[in-house]
Amino acid sequence: MKVLIVDDSGTMRTIQKRCLNKLGINDIDEGEDGVKGLALFRANNYDVVFTDWNMPNMDGLEFLKEIRKGNTQVPVIMITTEAEKARVILAVQAGVSDYLVKPFTPDALKDKLEKWVGCHV
Amino acid sequence: MKTAIREKAESTTSLVNPIITSVIRTFESMLNCSPKRISLEVKSGHSPKYPLSAIVGLTGKMSGTIIFSVSNEAALEILSRLVFEQADEITSEVCDAVGEIANMIAGSAKADLAHLNLTLSIPNMVLGENHEVLYPPEVTTPMCIHFESEIGPFTIEFGFRD
Repeated sequence: MKVLIVDDSGTMRTIQKRCLNKLGINDIDEGEDGVKGLALFRANNYDVVFTDWNMPNMDGLEFLKEIRKGNTQVPVIMITTEAEKARVILAVQAGVSDYLVKPFTPDALKDKLEKWVGCHV
Repeated sequence: MKTAIREKAESTTSLVNPIITSVIRTFESMLNCSPKRISLEVKSGHSPKYPLSAIVGLTGKMSGTIIFSVSNEAALEILSRLVFEQADEITSEVCDAVGEIANMIAGSAKADLAHLNLTLSIPNMVLGENHEVLYPPEVTTPMCIHFESEIGPFTIEFGFRD
């Protein structure tokens, strides 16, 4: 299981990484914006991608669209403050697999990650 | 003229509750902490109350700024509660953690103000005693909400223009 986390906040990457570690996932790459995330995505094979929306250089929506241009079905989960219905629809139209709105409880994050990495604590 | 002033006051008031709700929601979810609103006042002067400020810009049908201002002690506790890491001084990691909380507060308020079609900026951090943050001149009545919490007191300032 190889996971990519893309978020401009090191804090958010650490929170997600710790949660994944607890689920037994340790093969994790990190990107701090869509540009770096896309470079990592193209150079590696990931089973799951977690991405923020609002990031400098390339935001999460553009990153998602670039991924989907490659006709890949890899699950892409957005973890973002963008909670308005219109925004969620944009993400769904771009091919997002799942969505978690910040702020979230620790259990909500665990449940979401667990669902997509297919492991149990 | 009185109508314009009343509309402006109502416009500002309509922002207060979504911001307070988003602060409580963010603190409870991310920091396991229940803040209490102490007071609301019209902001005077240019210095936020505490030495670390996270500034988030919002643009849309209205545009404005939200400032999350915290003491150094509260900032260190935010890092500790978010990622279970300790710091003795304000580091880039501490600033990132405080900025992420500000991002969530602004983002959560934005969701409750969906009719304004707001877009968030990336948080900017300002550090230092008595630092100043100037609002655009069109913002005539920036407001400041004071909170108390287990991690210490903090404020949320905001100012919007139509």
